Parts: sequence; C-alpha cells; structure tokens
Amino acid sequence: MISFIARRLALSIPTLIGVLVVTFLLLYVAPGDPVQEMVGERADSATIARLRKDLRLDEPVTSQFTHYAGGILRGNLGTSYITRRPIIQDVLERFPKTLLLAGTAMLFASITGIFIGVLSAQHPNGWFDRLALGAAYLGISFPVYWVGLLLILLFAVTLHWLPPSGYGGLRHLILPALALGTRSVAFLARVTRSAMLDVLNSDFVRTARAKGLREHVVVTRHALRNALIPVITVLGLDFGYYLTGSILTETIFSWPGLGRYVVNAISRRDLPAIQGSVLFLSVVFVLVNLLTDLAYAKADKRVAL
Amino acid sequence: MSTATRRRRFVSGPRCRTIPFAILALALGGCGGSSTPERRTLIDSRDNYDPRSLDPALSTDVPTGRAVAYVFDGLTRFTERAELAPNLATTWEVSPDGLIYTFHLKSGVRFHDGTPFTAADVKHSFERVLDPATPGGRGWPLYPIKGAKDYAAGKLKSISGVEVPNDTTVLFTLAEPFAIFPKMLAMPATGIVPHRTPPDFGEHPVGTGPWRFVEWRHDDYLRFARNADYHGGAPLADSLEARIIPEMSTAEAEFEAGNVDVLWVPEQATPAWEENEETRPLLQSAPSLRLIYAAMNTTHGPLRDVRVRRAINYAIDTRVILRRLMGGRGTVAAGVIPPSLAGFDSTRAPYPYDPAKARALLAEAGYPNGVDVELWSSQSEQFPRIAQTIQAYLARANIRVKLVQRDASSMREAARKGNTDIALKDWYADYPDAENFLYPLLHSANAGVGGNVSFYHNATFDSVVSASRREQDPAKRAALYRQADSIAFEDAPMIFLFFYKEVDAVQPWIKGYVVPSIFNGQRWTTVSIKHEAKAGTK
Repeated sequence: MISFIARRLALSIPTLIGVLVVTFLLLYVAPGDPVQEMVGERADSATIARLRKDLRLDEPVTSQFTHYAGGILRGNLGTSYITRRPIIQDVLERFPKTLLLAGTAMLFASITGIFIGVLSAQHPNGWFDRLALGAAYLGISFPVYWVGLLLILLFAVTLHWLPPSGYGGLRHLILPALALGTRSVAFLARVTRSAMLDVLNSDFVRTARAKGLREHVVVTRHALRNALIPVITVLGLDFGYYLTGSILTETIFSWPGLGRYVVNAISRRDLPAIQGSVLFLSVVFVLVNLLTDLAYAKADKRVAL
Repeated sequence: MSTATRRRRFVSGPRCRTIPFAILALALGGCGGSSTPERRTLIDSRDNYDPRSLDPALSTDVPTGRAVAYVFDGLTRFTERAELAPNLATTWEVSPDGLIYTFHLKSGVRFHDGTPFTAADVKHSFERVLDPATPGGRGWPLYPIKGAKDYAAGKLKSISGVEVPNDTTVLFTLAEPFAIFPKMLAMPATGIVPHRTPPDFGEHPVGTGPWRFVEWRHDDYLRFARNADYHGGAPLADSLEARIIPEMSTAEAEFEAGNVDVLWVPEQATPAWEENEETRPLLQSAPSLRLIYAAMNTTHGPLRDVRVRRAINYAIDTRVILRRLMGGRGTVAAGVIPPSLAGFDSTRAPYPYDPAKARALLAEAGYPNGVDVELWSSQSEQFPRIAQTIQAYLARANIRVKLVQRDASSMREAARKGNTDIALKDWYADYPDAENFLYPLLHSANAGVGGNVSFYHNATFDSVVSASRREQDPAKRAALYRQADSIAFEDAPMIFLFFYKEVDAVQPWIKGYVVPSIFNGQRWTTVSIKHEAKAGTK
C-alpha cells in the first residue's frame, strides 16, 4: 500500500507540471492587462512601464515561466499583484472554508443519496421509487444558483429559520451545503439504486436470504457493501464538481471560499493568484483521486493495491 | 476612474440575474417589515467584492476607497453631497500665482495607536504613495506637486515641492497652477498614514479617521469600531460592519431579513421597489458623479467624420434606454459634465431622437448605404442589453453594428489600445469636478491608457481644458468647463448616454444616512440606529 501511494504520488508530478505549463500559457495568451488592472484607470505610461518591469512582464515568456516555476520549486506561490499579500496565505485562509462547505455537502449528498437509492431498489417501480426518480430528475436539472436562491427565499426570507448568507456556525452552513449537495443527492440515488438492483439479484444475496438472514442485514451487510464501488467512483469524480460548483454556491451565499477568490483573481487578471490557486486545487484533486482508489480497496477486498 | 473596478458593476463571475428577487419575494409574500434589531452595529451591504487592501496607497477600487475613508483622513474630504470640506487641514490658502498652497493643520490629533499627527506625517505619507518601491501605482493625484513625478520615477530623493515649516503647516509648491489641487487631497490615495507602517499595514491599518480598524475576514466582512476621540466628532454608532456580498439577490435577502441596514438597489429591481408601497418609503437617491457613455474612436474609418458620429447620436432614443433598461435611474447626458457640477450647462439639450436626420447626415458624409461599426461592451450589469438596444436603433438608421462582448478587463485593454470602434463604458468621478470628466476622457494628453479611448484630439478643446486647470477664479473656470463641454458635444466623440442616479434602500430604523454622490463621501459618522423606547407590552 505504501509503495502504491508513493507510485501514485510520483506519477502525479508530470500531471502537476502539465497544469503549471498550461495555466501559465493560457494566462499569457489571454487578453487583458494585469498592470492596468493594478493601477486602475488614469495611470501614466511611465508608471505602467515601471510596474511591468518590476513584475517581469516585459520579459520573454520563457524567462517569465522559468522565474515563476523556480519560485514554485522553492515552495513560493508568489505575491498577489492586486492585494500584495502572499498567495499561499490567501489560499490557506480560504481553502478550509471551501473544504468545509464541499465536505458537508458531500456528506449530506452521500447519506441522503445512498439512503434513497437503497430504499428505491428494495421496491423497484413502487411509489417511493417513482417519487424518488421524479425528484432525482428535478434535482439534476436545477442549476445550483436557482436552488440556492429558492432556499434563501424559503428558509431565510419567508420562514426566518436560517441566515441568508455569510460564514459562521452551523446555521450558516446548512443552506449552502443543501444547495451544493442537491444535484449530487439525485445522482447518487440513481447510481446506488441501479447498483443495488444488480446486486440484489445476484446469487450470494439469494444465498444470504436463503440462510434466513433478516432483510435489513441482507441489504446493509451484503448488498450495499458490494454496491458501493460505483458509488465511490461517482463521489470521487463529483469532488471536482464540488470544487467548481462551489464557486457559484460561494457567490450566492457570500461564502468566503477559494472559488470566489479565483473568480475575482481572474476578472482582475491577478496572474499569480490564478496560477497559485489552480495549482493548489490540482494538488487537491490528485490527492482526492488517490483517496478514492484507497477507498475502493477498503470497500472491496478484491482490489489489491 | 472606471467603474469596472470601482463599483458594484464589477462582474465577479457567473451571476444569476434571471430572477428579479424582490418581485419573487413579493409574490411569495416575503416582504414583511422586520422589527428594529437589538444590535448597535451599523451594517452596510454595498460592497460586492473584497477590498484589495486597506492601505491608502493601494486604493484603486470602490470597496477599498470606502474602507480607507473610514480609517484614514486626508487633509480635505468630500461630503455626502460631494462638496469639498476641511479635514486634517482646517484652512488653506493659495499664492496669487496659484503655485504655492499653504495648509494649516489641526493640532492635537492622534492616530489610533496614540501617536500624535504632525505635518511631517503628511510629507511621509505622500512620499510613501509615490515611492517607486510602493507597488500601488496610484501616485497621479499628487503629480501636480513639483518634483512628485521625478520622485516617483526614482530621480529624486524627496519631493521638492513639499515643505514642512512646523508641526501644523504644510506648503506645497506645484509644478504649474492647478486650481482644484485641494480636491486631490481628499482622495483615498492621499490619506495620511503614521510614520511606522509595517509590511502588513494593508491588513492592519492605523489612521486618524472616525473608525478604528477591528477585523477583516476576507470576502466576508470588515469591522470597525468608533473612534471616540475623533477630531471631527465621534461617530454616533458603536461600530460599523461592511459586509461583502457578491450577489445582489443575496444582499436583497439580507436586507429583507433585517440583517443589513443599507442596500444598493439594482437597476432592474428599481421599478419593483418603487411600485411597492412597503418598500417605496425605504428608497433614497442621489445624483451620482457617473457618466455612462460609448466612446467612439475618432481615428477609425467612418467615425473620423463628425457627421457620422452625430448621426449615431441622433439615431438612438436614449430616453427609452434610460427608462426601460436602467429603471429610469438618471438623466440623459448632453455633454460629459454631470448636472451637479460647476460647468454644467442646463440650456444645452441632448441629441434628440431623429433617425431621419441621422440618415441625412450619413448621406451627407458620403455613406448613403450606411456604415458598419463594431460596438464593444463588457458583460457587466445592463451593458450587454444597452449594447443590443443601441444596435437595434442604429440598424434603423442604416448603421450596421457588430456586437463584441468581452470581460471588462479584455475590453478595457482593447479600448486603450485603440482596437475598438465604439466602446460602451462608464466613468465614475474620483473627485467632484468637471475637470475629472473633461480631462481624462477627452483631452488628447490622455489618449489611450489615460482614459481618452475616443482618441479625441481637438486643439481648441485641449487648450480650453488646459486653461481651466490653471484658472483660479471659480466662475471663470466654470465658464471654461462649459465651453469645453460644448465643443465636445458638437464634436460628438462619444454616444452621450446618461448620468446615473444612485438608489439605496435604507432600513426604517436608520437615522442620518445620506446616499453619497461620490463613493468615499459617506463616512457613517452621523448615522445611527434608532432604538425605540421599549413599550410596556412585554
């Protein structure tokens, strides 16, 4: 297992280098001038030229990249053009909040989604199954900002149960996590249902029932465990959705996470902030994929690492 | 200053403007009156993105400028009505040749950390803003001072035009007369900082302003506490919180829930707010020093011909755009000087909507078959819709418009490089003076990066504006402004659209709030929460 992890981590290095190069080049060719965004309008050409030189933006792309990559190798993500704060400080301040939101949404989505999926699979085409199917279609179809605004309208504005937005305790977390998780609930319920149907019709489940095991033991101990593999795959892949979907959720609920930071950085052409955040998120992505693989092994003994 | 980075119009990503939230809330019966909150903190919701820093030297955007105005003082300040008022300086006088300004400073003022404020701090603060090692690039308001430009370029060791004869006097020698110089000293960038500024000063600012900095949770809120010793009279409320809410619908919901005290009302929501009897009394407005216009590149193809540019102005019914797309928020522009500023000419009428005249002018200019132009706009707010409407109007006059939509930053770059035919833009004043419209937007010295993206060049206009900058007599200066504005109106280097009207919703329990006409005009010192005397029903 240790060697598996080491191998996977080693293999992720070329991926991250690729991310670094592609992000850098994309930003290099993108229109918009970072220096003009820094100084605002009405700046004079002398100031602009001086800043361009200070930031090495007047150098050839290769030398800019070498300088930037050198900084990364020394563990320095650089300093924001706009705020003059170290990028790593900004990222580390916001990422835990994004992670908290994504984690809660994922927890909510997996518990609810798997539960609905299992119940639906027990009586396929029954009333609950049909209801859940219909709700799942709606859940997948609603965009997150629509769901978010409806949640705010209902629970914050009309019922006054929860705060409309902001970052704080559990009360602030509920609505954004619901909004972010809804689409996933629907998706996970569908995947769990079909995996469960496959498993429930297999020989070992019949054997388990024939042994006289109680139905809930058959479902939870025998069937669900085997049906979890595709569910874990979906959860792992969905994590990307959580990180990108969180940009919208964070905007709607004024959640001070990394998604908003990146969007702001893009519109202000804050190159080091964009590059640093993308690189950081790529590392997180690689790690999540690794964790997904480790979870397979935990759920299914046949998967050898 | 462009509002792309200055105001709510900053597009920070995908937004959900498909839902007129207030209307939806009304439909569901959500608009109930909230009762006066117990809190003693004033909560503002107008910022929609995180300030870049709280360091005056870095203040190039609206949230930063607002926050800097809470913590710091300049020698002068702007009132809510955008008038110039004394601040750290009590009085000032100018030499007859208009070159030497003497500012007399208040004594006994202390920074929030207890250090006394003296005239030396003024010199230090200005050198800090201009220092080539300070990467703000916000030195231009101080460039009129002799030696400031050379200091900023690293050619001088100190600014030769600043002298400090004693602790309460500062003398500025200007490179050439600049009559509105005192207004430069009310801008956020010229706020006075203490002598010692640690590297994280932008995160932990210390000034002499009415509010002490308490806490900054990035992308969440800024919190300030009342400076009880404030030299201009301590604020009435205990504390002030500026919440950062990127989505307008969310800000509306927070207002609806009674969690915020002041809300910027979006244009498209304005009619719903105005028509509802419960919400109408909450609205307050002020004419804003903001011009919405479309710069026509006077060096491009048919746009070189003044007749074509006038034809374009005649071909658009600006009133309809103002009413239908901007919620009636503003007045139609007949020039670039807003009605509230000296130099505005109330006798000049805007270009009337006259498509026949537009076609005639085109024919006269040698384009009987019409012309083809590109109209650039950013994705901010109502701009794409305004662009589409202009396209439709111009089509009727045989002017074929190709719409080009880019994000604000890309569009700005293209316009400054002269790559746009027509660029739909806006301009929000840095300081309340006609010069701040005439000079950056249309003087040939500012062609391109300076702000004149029409690349307008008229020698007479230039000389009138240059003369107005030197003119010490306010009446004569206003006459020069009027003359310059009239020349620009005739030359039509832009589509004159409208001067904006700011509309805020203010909770019924808030006392003393005035919608500011300029972004740093409202410092919340006279605003309070009106806590009703507890009735004996409990």
